[in-house]
Amino acid sequence: MIQKLRGPKFPSLFAGKSFIKNLLNRGFLANGYKAATSSGVSKLAPTRDERLFLVLSIFIGVISGLLVVSFNIAIEWIKILTLGSAPHAGQYRLIFVPALGGILAAVLVYFFPGSRGSGVNQTKAALYVYNGYISFRTVIGKFIISSIAIGTGHSLGPEDPSLQIGAGVASIIARKFGMSRQRLRVFAPIGAAAGLAAAFNAPISAILFVIEEVIGQWSAAVLGSIVLAAISSVVVERRFLGAAPIFSIPTVTFRNTRELFAYAVLGIFGGLFAVAFSRALGYLRVRLRALPRWTQFTQPAAAGLLVGLIGYFGFFQVMGRGYGSIDQAMHGEFAWKFLLALAVLKLVATTLSYSSGTPGGMFAPTLFIGAMLGAGVGSFEKLFFPHLTGTVGSYALVGMGVLFAGFLRVPLTSVFMVLEVGGNYGIIVPVILANTIAYLIARSLQPVPIFEMFARQDGLELPSLEEQREEIPLHIEDALEPLSVPIVQGREPISAVSAAVAQTSASAILVQIHDGTWYAMTADELTGAAAARTPETPIEQALKPDRLPTLFPDLPLDNALPYFPRWPVIPIINRASRGTLEGIVTLSTILKRYQSE
Amino acid sequence: MAVFELRTPLSPEERAEKRKLILRDTIALATILVITAVLAILTYLLFASFTHHREVLAQRWKANGERAMRLGKPDNAVQALRSALNYAPGRRDIEIELAMALAADNRPLEATAYFNSLLETEPGNGLIHLQLARLAASDNKPSDAEEHYQRALDGTWEGDGYVRRREVRLELARYLISQKNYPRAQAELRTAAGNAPKNPDLQMKIAGMMEQAQDPTDALTIYRDQARLRNAPLQALLGAGRTAYSLGHITVARESLLRAIRHRDFSSLPDSEQQAIRQMYAISNRILDLYPDPDLTVRARAGRIQTNAKTARARLTACVANPSAAAKLAPLQAQWQQLPPLTLRALERNPQLEQTTMALVYSTEKQTAQVCGAPTGDDAILLKLAQAPQAVQD
Repeated sequence: MIQKLRGPKFPSLFAGKSFIKNLLNRGFLANGYKAATSSGVSKLAPTRDERLFLVLSIFIGVISGLLVVSFNIAIEWIKILTLGSAPHAGQYRLIFVPALGGILAAVLVYFFPGSRGSGVNQTKAALYVYNGYISFRTVIGKFIISSIAIGTGHSLGPEDPSLQIGAGVASIIARKFGMSRQRLRVFAPIGAAAGLAAAFNAPISAILFVIEEVIGQWSAAVLGSIVLAAISSVVVERRFLGAAPIFSIPTVTFRNTRELFAYAVLGIFGGLFAVAFSRALGYLRVRLRALPRWTQFTQPAAAGLLVGLIGYFGFFQVMGRGYGSIDQAMHGEFAWKFLLALAVLKLVATTLSYSSGTPGGMFAPTLFIGAMLGAGVGSFEKLFFPHLTGTVGSYALVGMGVLFAGFLRVPLTSVFMVLEVGGNYGIIVPVILANTIAYLIARSLQPVPIFEMFARQDGLELPSLEEQREEIPLHIEDALEPLSVPIVQGREPISAVSAAVAQTSASAILVQIHDGTWYAMTADELTGAAAARTPETPIEQALKPDRLPTLFPDLPLDNALPYFPRWPVIPIINRASRGTLEGIVTLSTILKRYQSE
Repeated sequence: MAVFELRTPLSPEERAEKRKLILRDTIALATILVITAVLAILTYLLFASFTHHREVLAQRWKANGERAMRLGKPDNAVQALRSALNYAPGRRDIEIELAMALAADNRPLEATAYFNSLLETEPGNGLIHLQLARLAASDNKPSDAEEHYQRALDGTWEGDGYVRRREVRLELARYLISQKNYPRAQAELRTAAGNAPKNPDLQMKIAGMMEQAQDPTDALTIYRDQARLRNAPLQALLGAGRTAYSLGHITVARESLLRAIRHRDFSSLPDSEQQAIRQMYAISNRILDLYPDPDLTVRARAGRIQTNAKTARARLTACVANPSAAAKLAPLQAQWQQLPPLTLRALERNPQLEQTTMALVYSTEKQTAQVCGAPTGDDAILLKLAQAPQAVQD
């Protein structure tokens, strides 16, 4: 495990062995102790964890919401204090403030090593590698360093850090309550959903993102808690920041079906931009990390300097999270050439900031690029095809979803994000069309999703959630074979059963008990029963007390495995008629079915 | 939670453990509650301070933007108002000011797009429609401009909507006049005049616009109403004189012009204007001197007709000296030749002859003006009289 965590190239990500030692000293041992006692707890109060789970979800949501509100205020305040209340091109401070912010971030990252990165992969790592452990120190570090980096103008966003802050809050609370290891692991995604929901002011999108990207599968066990936490955090966030979406969305319209062509073009551009963005990040991040270790202290400053220069020379909109500029683009305040220039320069600026190791997220830059691209296409359409009726805001909104689908590779979240943020189902057709095109292009040109690429670069082997999502799980019906063993009634005498078995030379028989349950009897068991009892004895009196499980053809194939080798065969029951058998499964047929996959 | 499960078959030691667990969970929940409350208070304080700071910044940048607009620096205003909007997102007044600044900064496309976006969220906003109308007007899109002006009239307005709508209507009328769409401009001005209070300045403004919209009749009605007031404004008297004169209501024109010339503010007018007014007054007097007023004695009227006939005949004789004109005016000459001798006695006894003679006088002045150019002297007066002879005494 330590070897995995260290990774071959990037020992610094989680600070290698020393970090693991710290981890063990600070958290794992304590959790191990608690895990050891959790069996006692389950005996004393069997439903304690389950009930606490829901109550704590609400606390996690509320605390995450409060922290995310403070986080956003901190970013904004730092921005005002350092870049001024109205930064504009030509100000010298635009050059040196991001560089100073980079230096400060680099120094602080030394003290808070867990704060590096966007926060999404770190949360996934907590879920899959560290049993849900995210330290308090990481949460504090993420809060401080990300707010400094984003506030001083680095081209990064607050959403992914918010996600990690929420996950950290959940992890801390779960640990303090001595939850079982299994519970501890699922708390991180609950907090992640809460953090992201508060950052986005869009609970449905946050829930879907966590399910789609962090957990990777629908899990009824945590869905309720995720929803509770996300809703709680959004309620808190709205109490402070208001119910309005994070962007001031103009009325979005879709009246003319001919515009689908324009949206398709947007999907193509979005897919290509997503690929370019992924490749730029994948290329530069590896090369910067391959440089000598001391340069890692200067890289954020250098990135800040370059981003600042972009801002100084007329494109200050690319600095920071860029929500204001997204609003302006949505309201058609920029010409299409300027919009496309902003999209390209934001891509460059974010690649520099993120690859330099400066903590911060990629959601906001993704949305920024998408909005600029969409507004650019929309403005172009308005200019050259004025008879079409789509507003620039509609295109910007769809553009955000397009980049989300293509770059972050979360197609479902991208659709709901646009609908939730836009508050209008009228553009669902263009959204689905453009997002699907972008997703397919991005996937065919860049097979490895961005978060998976980062994980691999960091030496982590996190599960590929995109593949998981698309896996078709095997069901019992896939290993079903026709009935090949005799079926006898439980009231039949042992002699008759023995005669029937002797005729077929079967190795087992299925006995239907009078109460409707089933028993699979081996030939050896039958021989033993025949020797021990009189021939007239009903066969069901010779059976052991346990009974075959009730399995149906549509259940996952895995469900059958725990019952082997206790039972030689398992009958598969028809859901509509429990007395009717669909067939049987055996261990050998199940294994053959898995091997054939 | 553990607290609900005390009645389980547990050993005494286990019960003690369970109590400890319940106590620990209760303390932990209480602690987390306290932490949440403290965090909420801190966040609230931070948020309150931050909100106040944002409001201050928004107000400061808004004021900067407005100042820049007043100083005629719309580019600075755009920047300042954008900053203001960053700190007060969704503030409609700032958004509209920003769009207006964009328009003033000669960025009609951006301004139009911005206003259209605003309009989508508030489709009935009169002010936004007005701004879009102005942008369309400056972009030479008359149909869009008229449509937005009309929607501005029908739209909602903050504050005194009655006054704002009237201003929009007058602006629409001005625009229609500039487009030479006089019939529609006249209709809008009539509506404005009908709804306007009896404010002299406003009434005078509407009357002036009616004159521009080639509607001197309605303008004269307003001017005369204002001229009847005690201490009637000079402009009302001048307007009444001017419009009455143009309509041929010479009696009214002379009376109004005389009052205007005697008005205490008349001397403050530029000399050229004074001169023009005096000349108009003199012409009016002369017209009335030549006009065969039915209220005159029969002899006096016959004398005026005789004089006018002489003047017109002289004009005709001078004009037909030119051979090309003679051919054109031959039928007119024939009409004159068919007339009996125009003695005073004949005119006094024959009212039909009076009418025929004056009709021939008017016809002669009109035709000779067309063939031989604009007349001067009494011919010019008679030509003026010929435009609307029945209106002189209206």
